[in-house]
Amino acid sequence: MRRYSPRVFHVAHRFFRDRSQAEEAAQETFLKAFAQLKSFEGRGSMEGWLTRIATNTCLNLIRTASRRPELVTAELSEDETDWLEKKASESAGGHHRDAEDKVVARDLAERLLEGLSPEDRLALTMIDGEEASVSDVAEMTGWSESKVKVRAFRARKKAREALEKLLGRNR
Amino acid sequence: MRDNHITEILDNKPLASINETELATIRSHVAGCASCERAYEAAQLSALLIKERADEAAQNSLVANPFFQTRVMAAWRERREANVSALRRLWNSTGALVTTMAATTAALAVLAFVAPSSETINQPTAVLVPYSAESVVLDQSDNDQVTDDQVLNAIYSDDDEGR
Repeated sequence: MRRYSPRVFHVAHRFFRDRSQAEEAAQETFLKAFAQLKSFEGRGSMEGWLTRIATNTCLNLIRTASRRPELVTAELSEDETDWLEKKASESAGGHHRDAEDKVVARDLAERLLEGLSPEDRLALTMIDGEEASVSDVAEMTGWSESKVKVRAFRARKKAREALEKLLGRNR
Repeated sequence: MRDNHITEILDNKPLASINETELATIRSHVAGCASCERAYEAAQLSALLIKERADEAAQNSLVANPFFQTRVMAAWRERREANVSALRRLWNSTGALVTTMAATTAALAVLAFVAPSSETINQPTAVLVPYSAESVVLDQSDNDQVTDDQVLNAIYSDDDEGR
């Protein structure tokens, strides 16, 4: 368990920013793995098997507590509004980011991702955030490659449109 | 170029993997289209935010809780005990009833198939039940019934006395 914990936690943190929620998901993953250990026939790697269980567990947990509010300008904090304006005025690439800047960006990112379905969010975070390939995501989730592409496309579009709205309102 | 076209390029793959040709197309289009310029800006910000969130997830996963393993093992034991005790509770509540029913069924089976009474079969029913249903219900035995002579006597005896 010690060996695979980092991997399982990495998957959990993709979905849950809060440490206790991520731990809850990781614990549930290991409990499911213990219960289904007989079904693991050693065909793939143990890590891959656990990653898939972790992904499905996290998706289920998110679906259970499903709340997908649309990101609206009125809900943005002053810091978040400033960040958006600052970044929009900067050239692409986001230069000289200090620690405070990062915290604001991460808060905003979380809120942006909360507006997506768990599946879309996973595809977007892995492909755009972690630079994983479509086939990697397909293998990890058990989805077809075309499904992964569609999910990522849809998530990208939705995230872009949400930010576009915010930029339009802030100007 | 239609506005739709450039947003499709933006949404089709991660911004980081857009090639030089596509980038040149986007830039040239954006120069003359305000809505696409905003879309491009939003796509850049979105990519930046998502990258930031992914970095955060990677960082957080490195900080492990030292008691995590102990916690998981305790939860596993608890779950297993819960499964076992559920079965035990079920047996405790229904065990006596099930045992009694099984014993009764077995006893009845023995009485019916293994040791049937031969006397009971040969004995006529009439002997076993000496009273008719009528006599039991109406409480009228055959002996209590009056004869015709007795009735006539009872009617005409008074007339004879009067004469």
